[in-house]
Amino acid sequence: MTLALLLFLALQVSPELKQHVEAGLAAKRAGDLPGAVREFRRAAELAPDLAAAHVNLGAVYLEQKDYGAAIPEFRRGLQLQPDLPGAEGMLGIALLAQGYAGEAVQHLEKAGAEDALAVALLQSGRAREALDKLEAALQNRPDDPDLLFYLGQAHAQLAKQAFEMLAQHHPESARARQTRGEAHAAAGDREAAARDFAAALAARPDLRGVHLAMGELDLGSGDFEGAEREFRQEARLSPGDALAAYKLGLVLLNRGRTAEALPELQRADALRPGMPETLLELAKAKATAGDPAGAEKLFRQVIEQEKTTKLAQSAHFQLAQIYRKLGRAAEAAREMDLFQELRKR
Amino acid sequence: MGRFARVCLCAAMLCCAAQSPRLRQAHPPGLDFQHRNSPTPEKYLIETMGGGVALLDYNNDGLLDIFLVNGGKLPGDFSRRQPPYWNRLYRQNRDGTYTDVTAAAGLANAGDNYGMGVAAADFDNDGFTDLYITNYGRNTLYRNNGNGTFTDVTAQAGVAAGGWSASAGFFDYDNDGRLDLFVTRYLDWDVGRNILCGTPFHAYCRPEKFGGVTNLLFHNEGGGKFRDVTAESGIGKLVGKGLGVAFNDYDGDGFADVFVANDGMQQFLFHNQGNGTFAERALDAGVAFSDDGNAFAGMGVAFADYDNDGRPDIAVTNLALEKYALFHNEGGGQFRYASLSTGLAALTAHSSGWGVGLQDFDNDGWKDLFAAQSHVLDNVEKIQSGLRYLEAPALFRNNRGRFEHSELTGLPAVAGRGAAFGDLNNDGYIDTVVSVLGGPPLVLLNRGGPNHWLTLKLVGTRSNRDGIGAKVRAGNQWAYVTTSGSYLSASDARVHFGLGQAREATVEILWPSGTKQVLERVAADRIVTVKEPE
Repeated sequence: MTLALLLFLALQVSPELKQHVEAGLAAKRAGDLPGAVREFRRAAELAPDLAAAHVNLGAVYLEQKDYGAAIPEFRRGLQLQPDLPGAEGMLGIALLAQGYAGEAVQHLEKAGAEDALAVALLQSGRAREALDKLEAALQNRPDDPDLLFYLGQAHAQLAKQAFEMLAQHHPESARARQTRGEAHAAAGDREAAARDFAAALAARPDLRGVHLAMGELDLGSGDFEGAEREFRQEARLSPGDALAAYKLGLVLLNRGRTAEALPELQRADALRPGMPETLLELAKAKATAGDPAGAEKLFRQVIEQEKTTKLAQSAHFQLAQIYRKLGRAAEAAREMDLFQELRKR
Repeated sequence: MGRFARVCLCAAMLCCAAQSPRLRQAHPPGLDFQHRNSPTPEKYLIETMGGGVALLDYNNDGLLDIFLVNGGKLPGDFSRRQPPYWNRLYRQNRDGTYTDVTAAAGLANAGDNYGMGVAAADFDNDGFTDLYITNYGRNTLYRNNGNGTFTDVTAQAGVAAGGWSASAGFFDYDNDGRLDLFVTRYLDWDVGRNILCGTPFHAYCRPEKFGGVTNLLFHNEGGGKFRDVTAESGIGKLVGKGLGVAFNDYDGDGFADVFVANDGMQQFLFHNQGNGTFAERALDAGVAFSDDGNAFAGMGVAFADYDNDGRPDIAVTNLALEKYALFHNEGGGQFRYASLSTGLAALTAHSSGWGVGLQDFDNDGWKDLFAAQSHVLDNVEKIQSGLRYLEAPALFRNNRGRFEHSELTGLPAVAGRGAAFGDLNNDGYIDTVVSVLGGPPLVLLNRGGPNHWLTLKLVGTRSNRDGIGAKVRAGNQWAYVTTSGSYLSASDARVHFGLGQAREATVEILWPSGTKQVLERVAADRIVTVKEPE
């Protein structure tokens, strides 16, 4: 709008220029972007020193996502009139879209385009500064998928930088081996992961999180005995860790040792109340231990929290078994219907 | 209970607790079978699923013989006319050696079908065990002529089926004295519609990639003919992905029910309604899913009473990380998932099982659980490190209702598939033959122990001649006469009881005809033939 006004101010001296600009604006309004390009390009030819003409043409290119064509027009406009409103921001966006994040930063800073600036900072390796801006932007738009995506990327970049520094400066430290173990585990290389975790523990036997990771490896290959050993160690090192208590309880339950599983799962629930995975296993343990009323209450809690997830599905199924056992046929049938309904999704 | 009785009980417990089944691999001379599955880079799914094994006494000499189902040549027409791809029958000789009698028995040239499994029973009540071979393609029914030869009677009998058949079994669902035939079928798949799955490593596709098919039920009409009653019986109402099948009367109504192990979907429990029809009740009975409500890859199945409460329970083998499923029969048509409480979950979470049996290997009076094992993917180590393709068979000793690992010393890791059970050397201890994908079978001979035993060979008169479907009680133990169960396999029809310290047992037989027969104080350590009262 501002650009159009500026153009009109300039148009007082050239009726032909005025005609092309008006036609370009009309085409743009009508969504005829090629027509708008044609008219604005003619305007720029008629008035090559008119900054607004170039910027208007660049703006249409930008709309067409023809960033390569837009950039020189914005540059020319800014050369002719460095304070031309909007031009800096649009140039920054076009440069960012073309991957010139470093150059885009200065233009976006000048334009005060904070969201795009955050992305440009992130893509030019300045993750820390990007993080601050992204978090600020999320205050206004907390569910914006793009912002959430870039926030995740920023955190990942920072983490990567920290781990690279760790590997570079302390390659054989316990933490470096722990990190490598986790990377191997994520890549599915169980043996390499186990080697690194063992080395980490050899260097620092009290390192927290390593036994948990080793237990996960065992669990992933169905070795419940090994998993119990590791989770027990983790629970000893971190008695306040709900996850360690939950995992230990889970394994004990799977090993048929319900009486031992119950206190661990109860401890996990006390440490981190309401974690649905814990509630589900605790309910199962209670049902196995002959406390259907206690189990029912917990399954209901899971369903209340989870609604339609796999955990809720499982809770409906297990509730149906409890009701059936208690002879409450109608309730059992209802829960089984709900289970089937969720299964079909 | 008096003091003396308490002392005896303790002594018996000490004795039996000290026992451990002693299965050892044997290499009987003459048993030179080599299974040929013809693995290809195309990873045709049939390559990894076969083949079965049967233990039967085809010539009634009192010794169990071994029948093994071969695969076929891929790609192409399977070329089972060539000897390397034949199914094979090995006759057991008196000295424990075996003789390949395939050609002499008329079982050579298995046709143009890729072999899968085998069912064995005397369908025509002539006193000789017949064979039904399942295939990818047409199935084959061989009638035992009683003179050491068999005749292909598939066409006259009308049981060729088609598609991809897996396990099959003979049972008498209407108690008319003639054995009927149930055939599980796996997937709606054919070689031409094979797809490559998995990146970067090609792997056999999961069953979810293909549609299911119906199982088949054939009613024995007598005179060597069967009638396809799949639709009218209600069996055909459900589309599944059946691999294993086993029979038992789970609700004690006198009619044989059917459990079908389905791969990657809910299991089927067909309740026999006693009027020629079946109703699928797995979900209501609590045997459709695991305790979490998850479907699992059901492969083999055993349908027997593991805790001596008189009600048959169900064990289903499946894939690693799923835990073998054990469903305890609670009575009233209801089951409870018991894998966790019996310790079986933790023992089996890292394994993939196929053929399975609940048999008392140490004769302590409690049925142990045996499984032939191996993952379905021959490259699973590359895909999921920590899992294994080849596995040794597993034996889980039943310690009064709770299962414990039992070391099977020296057994190789193999691609186990079928498993058949029976007393090969008639020493009173159950032996096992495991069929191995792409390899020679494993023969596991039981070295025995000090416990007593009793084996019964039933001869039906009003009931079917094999006595299949009879319920037999010895002391507090119950057995169900069947040759079916496991995976693609058929076991000895004789009923075996471990008696622990007892030197005799009172035996009660409830024949499928409804006849009840009681044998008082039968001496232990014998094989007894029992004829149904006329």
